[in-house]
Amino acid sequence: MIDFKHVTLEYPVTRTLALDDVSLNIGKGEFVYLVGHSGAGKSSFMNLVLKRALPSRGEVRVAGEPLSAYRGRRTSILRRRMGTVFQDNLLLPHLNAFDNVAFALRVTGVPQREWPQRVTAALRTVGLEHKKYALPLQLSLGEQQRVAIARAIVGNPPLLLADEPTGNLDPDNSREVLKVLQNVNLRGTTVIVATHARDLVETFRHRTLTLRKGKLVRDDPYGGYAL
Amino acid sequence: MKYHLRQALLAMRGNVTATLATLMTMTLTLLMLGFVLLLTLNVNRTIEQLEGQVEVAAFLAGDAQDEALLAQARAIPQVRDARLVTSEQVLTEMTQDTPFARDAAQLVGNPYPDTLRLRVARVEDTRAVATQVAALPGVEDVEYGAGYVDTTVRTLSAVRLAGYLLVGLLLLGTLFNILNAVRVAMYARRDEISVMRLLGATRGFIRMPHVLEGLIVGALAAALALAILTPAYLSLTERVQQLAPVFPVVRDTSTLAPLLGGVACLGILIGLLGSVFATRRYLQELE
Ligand SMILES: Nc1ncnc2c1ncn2[C@@H]1O[C@H](COP(=O)(O)OP(=O)(O)O)[C@@H](O)[C@H]1O
Ligand SMILES: [Mg+2]
Repeated sequence: MIDFKHVTLEYPVTRTLALDDVSLNIGKGEFVYLVGHSGAGKSSFMNLVLKRALPSRGEVRVAGEPLSAYRGRRTSILRRRMGTVFQDNLLLPHLNAFDNVAFALRVTGVPQREWPQRVTAALRTVGLEHKKYALPLQLSLGEQQRVAIARAIVGNPPLLLADEPTGNLDPDNSREVLKVLQNVNLRGTTVIVATHARDLVETFRHRTLTLRKGKLVRDDPYGGYAL
Repeated sequence: MKYHLRQALLAMRGNVTATLATLMTMTLTLLMLGFVLLLTLNVNRTIEQLEGQVEVAAFLAGDAQDEALLAQARAIPQVRDARLVTSEQVLTEMTQDTPFARDAAQLVGNPYPDTLRLRVARVEDTRAVATQVAALPGVEDVEYGAGYVDTTVRTLSAVRLAGYLLVGLLLLGTLFNILNAVRVAMYARRDEISVMRLLGATRGFIRMPHVLEGLIVGALAAALALAILTPAYLSLTERVQQLAPVFPVVRDTSTLAPLLGGVACLGILIGLLGSVFATRRYLQELE
């Protein structure tokens, strides 16, 4: 699914080495934590997979193809195959939960008659079917984040990227969100969760990749957290 | 498509000043362009008519080599055609206009010299041809009927040139206005746009509302310009026809319709191209 070969990412202006010679492979259907202190390079990893950044050295392959193969229109096709959830949920404030989720279908050209059924199914997956007419401000942060997850999965992407999805949440909401992500994974979606929260990783154990100052220092197939 | 249209209208409403500024400069530009084109059309028509009329007359000396001079005159490149009119023929012509000319001629002899009558291909060349012919040996004097043609042509060409320059500047101004309006509109939507990009919207999809916005403004400006220009022109030319019927004003639909239609199309095209260009640049900056 995702293949990094000696990937280095150096941001040109500041010359920071965000990722340093990282090699790894994430297979189909896996659930993977990406952990490390703030500034360790987790978001940079996500940005590479999303093709929001290009590697300075090495090669990034997504679904068997190098990033350079995703050009122009294909960049948007690539992003349609990945759901994304960030610390800031990036919901559109003027749209209710249903419309926020449907927005993902709209911008990818899914015919309108398919929306009700698919959006409802996605909201059901995150347990918010009953809140579909609520505006983001009328939802708790945890609920907002779950709407964001619904929006990320409504297009049935094979890959879900979550960058600090619980960063703004209290422990209960964090657990809830993580449960939802697990459910998504159980339906066959590959899930990558970047986080710096130790307790989170220990709630549900999964393969854990540890980054430190841009280097991949540990790849623990059964979980555990070492910084 | 309905979605894009609604987004376009929202963007225009959210950003009324920039939209109105664009609309106004664009309308002004199209009005100016229409004015200059109509003026040119009428000037050309007038010049054509003058060209048909303006003659250079070269009066020959009694002992001049008429035929040789005729050949020399014909050899001047700007001369379209030249013919020799003998003094007798001139007298006959004159008699037709003023019957007592012949009586006078019987008293004092035929006062008219042999004359070369030249038609000039382009009216601007009249003076040059006159000077050249005057310099030929055996030519005593030269006259060209329309000294005023010279200044008229010159003034009109200058006005026309100034008009085109102005239109050029206005076009530039319009383009900048569109660029600015689209920029502001896209900036106002920047959060939505970044979400759209993450969700995998194509560039075309993101740009569509703004391209539509440009198209709508272009079409509105075109409609406004035509709504002002057409009645204004028709009433003006009607007055001219009444007051100065000699001017061959153009009023036939078959000539006016394509010209005005062209102006309208240009408006729509500028709106479209401007917004296509602006959206492309904005998205490139985001990369
Ligand atoms: N756009 C950027 N330009 C320059 N430096 C950046 C940029 N984004 C991140 N960095 C730097 O790269 C390093 C890794 O950042 P990041 O990947 O965001 O870490 P994390 O997500 O693990 O907190 C940090 O030192 C950060 O300051
Ligand atoms: Mg980060």
